[in-house]
Amino acid sequence: MARIELDKVSLTFRVRQRGRITLKEFLVRQMFRRSVNPMIEVQALQEVCLQFHEGERIGIVGHNGAGKSTLLKVLAGIYPPSHGRRIVEGRISSLFDIALGFELDATGWENMAYRGYLQGETPQTIRAKMQPIADFTELGNFLDMPVRYYSAGMLVRLAFSIATAIEPEILLVDEVLSVGDMAFQEKARQRMREMIAKAKLIVLVSHDLVNLTQLCDRAVWMDHGRVRQVGPTAEIIDAYTNSVHAGQSQAA
Amino acid sequence: MGSYVAAIWRCRYFWLSLVKNDLRTRYRRSVLGMGWSLLHPICMTIILTAVFCKLFNQEIRVYAPFVLAGLATWNYILTVVSHGCHCYFIGESYIRQYPAPLAIYPLRTALGGTVHFLLALLVVLMLSWYFNGFANVSALVSLVPTIFLLFIFAWSLAVLAGVANVYFQDTQHLTEVGFQMLFYATPIIYEVEMLQRRNLGWLVHLNPLVSLLELVRQPILAGQIPTAHTYAVAIATVVVTALTAGWTLARLQQRLIFHL
Repeated sequence: MARIELDKVSLTFRVRQRGRITLKEFLVRQMFRRSVNPMIEVQALQEVCLQFHEGERIGIVGHNGAGKSTLLKVLAGIYPPSHGRRIVEGRISSLFDIALGFELDATGWENMAYRGYLQGETPQTIRAKMQPIADFTELGNFLDMPVRYYSAGMLVRLAFSIATAIEPEILLVDEVLSVGDMAFQEKARQRMREMIAKAKLIVLVSHDLVNLTQLCDRAVWMDHGRVRQVGPTAEIIDAYTNSVHAGQSQAA
Repeated sequence: MGSYVAAIWRCRYFWLSLVKNDLRTRYRRSVLGMGWSLLHPICMTIILTAVFCKLFNQEIRVYAPFVLAGLATWNYILTVVSHGCHCYFIGESYIRQYPAPLAIYPLRTALGGTVHFLLALLVVLMLSWYFNGFANVSALVSLVPTIFLLFIFAWSLAVLAGVANVYFQDTQHLTEVGFQMLFYATPIIYEVEMLQRRNLGWLVHLNPLVSLLELVRQPILAGQIPTAHTYAVAIATVVVTALTAGWTLARLQQRLIFHL
């Protein structure tokens, strides 16, 4: 039974204006009570209430910095909400920042194993999946080289193949497909469609509105950390597009 | 707490494979392999033995194993702390993508250090056997719980170092300086009795590392199982460190990602 519920979830980031603080600076500040490196608060998410049920395919749209990726990370359990409740039932598999999370000096095969383990595989299950994953990446002999020498597109192929080789109950995807070449994008889209058919619940962030219309049935429009509108994909995309064009004509 | 340990156990393939990867990466193309990590304490032992035996009339066969045992243990603790400072930055890309118990990143550091320590210990045993034979082989069995105790200590130190370095980025430099000073306040290159003879015995009482060193040295060098008092101090030190580490993780684990 896959289910996601966010009940009035807010997330505030507190960052220092000038990078990390040192212990010496911290002690001096306590003594003199002056702030040369003040904390800034960033309201990433504000009172987000969402409910997703099994069988749904949700798309998330919004401007840059609206909180789409942050929302996905809260769903994945990476950021704890500052307020509100997060309830997620089901095994989560996520595709964020796909070029991260590699051991650079290890080969493609070894990295397949490491990422697989992190997703909950065991040595037996991953061994069976290694060849199918390798075939999907189409990287051939490059898999024997350290990942340090891969291009961004090759990393995307590898990471995408590994992440989609598991059977997820809940799949969270964050704008990952932009780097691959055209042939790979086609394959990836097909694989996503297969996964969508197999996964019970999918949340997808994308700026590719055509993709969203094809893959998702409901959409969420995020605006400056708030949920502006939730509804059927076509409706949301229309509203979002109109708002963007209205904004442009106002500025012009 | 139980569910946390279960969660760590669940991703055991992940951190075990990373430890193997770390060890392999360090020695991927080197002839000696892991022997390189032993080169430093062995060289230090040779130099210190040459100096101290000439200058202070120590016997080589007593002094060399003594110094090597002390250096091996000291290096273990030192490398675990200094690598532990970076463990969360090295694992940052995993932390940002997959929620996992944060204790596994210091665990990776501690396990790598333990492997090197076990190798160094092997060399110490061989050296001691070569010079003196083993007076009491059964005493060596006490090394097994000692190694386990040291591992818990190392893991806790790595947690504390890692978390501290995330919050205050100069932690690593401060620990380097601190450990350099501590090196001379700890009887590694000189005997414990030398301090007590000069009325500096209180240093021994204040320094928690002394009892851990004695747990390693006594079974090998003197063939004796350490006294209950030594065990008590060592276990108390490790328990306090482990509890501090556990408490730190419990309180700060959720917020750590905001500081990375």
